[in-house]
Amino acid sequence: MLSPKRVKFRKMFKGRMKGLATRGATVSFGQYGLQALEPGWVSNRQIEAARVALTRHIKRGGKVWIRIFPDKPITKKPAETRMGKGKGSPEGWVAVVKPGRIMFELEGVDRVTAEKAMGLAAAKLSVKSKFVAREEAHTDAS
Amino acid sequence: MAIANLTATPRSETGKGAARKLRAERRIPAVIYGHHRQPQALSLDGRELDKLLDRIAAETTVVELALPSGSATRTLIREIQRHPFRREVLHVDFQELVAGERITVDIPIVLIGNPNGVRNEGGVLDQVMRQVSVDVDPASIPNHFDLDVTNLELNESLHVSDLKLPEGVRILDDVSATVCVVSPPRVAEEAPVVEAVEGIAEPELIRKTKAEEGEGEAGK
Repeated sequence: MLSPKRVKFRKMFKGRMKGLATRGATVSFGQYGLQALEPGWVSNRQIEAARVALTRHIKRGGKVWIRIFPDKPITKKPAETRMGKGKGSPEGWVAVVKPGRIMFELEGVDRVTAEKAMGLAAAKLSVKSKFVAREEAHTDAS
Repeated sequence: MAIANLTATPRSETGKGAARKLRAERRIPAVIYGHHRQPQALSLDGRELDKLLDRIAAETTVVELALPSGSATRTLIREIQRHPFRREVLHVDFQELVAGERITVDIPIVLIGNPNGVRNEGGVLDQVMRQVSVDVDPASIPNHFDLDVTNLELNESLHVSDLKLPEGVRILDDVSATVCVVSPPRVAEEAPVVEAVEGIAEPELIRKTKAEEGEGEAGK
């Protein structure tokens, strides 16, 4: 599963997810993409589940890009613990996703397969998303 | 050369407030600039623009912009700003074209055919480069470059130098840059069994050791 190799601090503030994705909002590597429509945290387990769903559906052939990285540590207090006594211990990693962010990209498969594969991947994620395709070149000069 | 027509109206108010008011009226803020003119703020009809963008290749089509003040101005769309996920157009940049003055344009590369390496050996066609930067006269901007990939075998690639260029078009990118490659098929991999672990394996901390900190202080 994806997680940072080295970090400067073990724990992080929750933060706020205001606004839209201004970077990483266009399909840049492949032909098709999965775009987030709402802000949220996507955990490294969800990313891994989505990746497995994508690669299994497209079988051989095709290429997958993961455009998000879970670099934010999430902490949790143990069960049945009274409040206070400091912040909990790190329990996982999430990627902060804002609306518009392209989370996964695909290439080397036809549109129908890509749509189905992205649908399966979207079901593994905690944010609403939609299938997008790279803008095609207009080949008919008018 | 493809030419399209569009009507524009000059606008005096600029800034995000004025732009939002315009968009609420289904008009799109735009700007025109060029080599021999001052930049001028414009507004366009949203529906007319949408119809035009559906029909043309925006980055390679010359647009004749009709302004109420005078004759039509030949322009090229330099940038279209869109909403990150609603895809609606937020703003358009037009560059005025000057007759006889060459310009730099990014021309899309369209791959034609199904490579032998994909059809017979199950490879994956990976298009690394999707557009190429060229220096061209505005009167002869190509719509796109076709690149036939049918004879491409596994592990073979095509480069910018393989593009067939029309007369008067000069490539600005590296001619040895790869446009597309047929990669070997990916081996179907099984997802590794994830063991249930308590908590997470914590990564290494990027922090000075006490010895290093001591050295730093001694240095001061």
